[in-house]
Amino acid sequence: MKRRDLMKLIVQGMGAVTAGAVGIPALIFGVAPAFEKKQARWRPVGPLDGFPPGSLRMATVALPREDWAETPAEKGVFVWRPNEEDVIVYSRSCTDLGCPVHFDEGSDWFFCPCHGGIFDKEGAPVAGPPRVPLYRYAWRLREGILEIDLSSIPPMA
Amino acid sequence: MALFSSIRQWLTDRFGLGPIHDAALDRRVAKTPWYYGDGATLFMLLMIQLGTGAFMSLTYTPSPDGAFESVRYLTERQALGWFVRGLHYWSAGLMVVMVFFHMFRVILVGGYKFPREGTWLIGVMLFFGVLTMGFTGYVLRWDERAVYAVKVVLHMFAKVPLIGEWLVALVQGGRELGSLTLTRFYGVHVIFVPLLLLGLAGYHLYLVMLHGVTSPDERKQPVYTPDEQRELYHAQAESEEKGETFYPTTMAHSALFAMVVLGAGLLLTLMLGAPMPERGANLTRISMPREEWWYWWYSGMVAIVPGFAVPALIVLLPIVSLFVLVSLPFIDRGPYRGMRKRPVFVGLAVVTIGLLLFLTERRIESPWTGWPSDVVPPMPPDVSLTPELERGRELYVEYGCNSCHAVAGVGREVGPDLARIDSRLSLKELREYVGEPPEDVPMPAYRQRMTAQELELVAGFVLAVQAGAGENQ
Repeated sequence: MKRRDLMKLIVQGMGAVTAGAVGIPALIFGVAPAFEKKQARWRPVGPLDGFPPGSLRMATVALPREDWAETPAEKGVFVWRPNEEDVIVYSRSCTDLGCPVHFDEGSDWFFCPCHGGIFDKEGAPVAGPPRVPLYRYAWRLREGILEIDLSSIPPMA
Repeated sequence: MALFSSIRQWLTDRFGLGPIHDAALDRRVAKTPWYYGDGATLFMLLMIQLGTGAFMSLTYTPSPDGAFESVRYLTERQALGWFVRGLHYWSAGLMVVMVFFHMFRVILVGGYKFPREGTWLIGVMLFFGVLTMGFTGYVLRWDERAVYAVKVVLHMFAKVPLIGEWLVALVQGGRELGSLTLTRFYGVHVIFVPLLLLGLAGYHLYLVMLHGVTSPDERKQPVYTPDEQRELYHAQAESEEKGETFYPTTMAHSALFAMVVLGAGLLLTLMLGAPMPERGANLTRISMPREEWWYWWYSGMVAIVPGFAVPALIVLLPIVSLFVLVSLPFIDRGPYRGMRKRPVFVGLAVVTIGLLLFLTERRIESPWTGWPSDVVPPMPPDVSLTPELERGRELYVEYGCNSCHAVAGVGREVGPDLARIDSRLSLKELREYVGEPPEDVPMPAYRQRMTAQELELVAGFVLAVQAGAGENQ
């Protein structure tokens, strides 16, 4: 190997080392939030008495807060209590692209405002692009308070 | 005057302006038609975006607590904020329109053919860069439209097989939409992509200078090799009638196109200002979000394509478009650049343009959207409104029939217009139908919810409307 070629190799090597020494940590820093561990995050929705049997209504649930910012502070969900025993808590996200579905009390169906997605009261898709039923949160009762697990549905919903 | 002249000479010498002037400005190029000014127009728009954007960053607060209010403040209270943000907004839309125009124009004139493949490939990257900016920008407004736009994009990422959920967390900055989501979009919109765009645009222009643009003679006759192309281009550039000097002649022509687009941007800004939504980001209100107008075509496409194909379409469209655009210069390799000799590629471009316009129109109509409504359906003029019909009409609204069905053109169009529907059911059949629609019809069954009498009244109302429409025809 000629001296000149060796020099070229050294220059290129120094460039690569510099780029790696700066770029790799920066990249790890940038993607770190994506590796946040999935763990149950139970949040109260309200006293179960607020949802009489037979009712389907919108309720809000407080979201976990970052250390440095507070909003969006809460999130709307649909709570349906078909009878005394059962509770169903739907995410408002349409399962197609996540637009906020709206419950139409007249027809008893959910309408998506974006691309024509329609779900029946059971959450099953009946029209438009959605193929998947409305997401249902895992729920539990703690001393009469209805709680849901925010991590029980996909992260974007 | 002698003093000015010597200062000028000093600047030219010490700042090395001579070689730049000779290489970039004082050079011979082939004369080209007016529509070749689209590239210069895009460069102007990029500069407008950098300028207005940089100044807005002096006020904008990239925190979810402050973002929306800071945008409202700079739009409504800060001196000329409405103008700066308005111009940024309208230029963004015009830039998306122009980047499509430029791309299709280059396809139509065979602009990606040798020796300009490199120019084209850099252009493809710029194309995706501009589309990214056109999306990330309106997320920063952090209004209702912004949060749902983010949700839509996250749902698109979620449809990627295997790594979907990981991509969602990467873009969202965690498992919930929050502070990190906004700052990530801010970083991408204000630092990452602008730096990339600026660098790539500079490189794109350097290649345009080096290889020129597709000249009229190249489109008229076959050219077989890059050497032959260079010779042909050179001959035109140097000739008296087919060539011109880049500065000022070519630049003056391009600037004319750019001025028209700038005029459009200014006019839109002065007439419509910067759109300022009512409500900031929230996940609790009933909302009817919409993408910005330059993405209506995409929304129209998602709605029109059959549901089973949507996930694949969402994932494959960007990948396939990238693949097709990158391969164009390597598939379309013939010696001809004229449109008549390249029917397949020209046809493909024209069909795509037509599709984009058609889908945009569909999105404006959005006939697929059902939504609760207070609209009371009209009665045919010559039908007298009996108490039964009046009650039927009330029930029609109460039970949300009007969330989906129009009557004589008034109302939503998800289901058939009940005054114009062809089938003529008897009262009994109609009652049965509303009570329990056939399996394959996406309509709620009302048997459990309406009394027999209510069913009768609604069916009676619908029949009266149909009879009235029939007589009027």
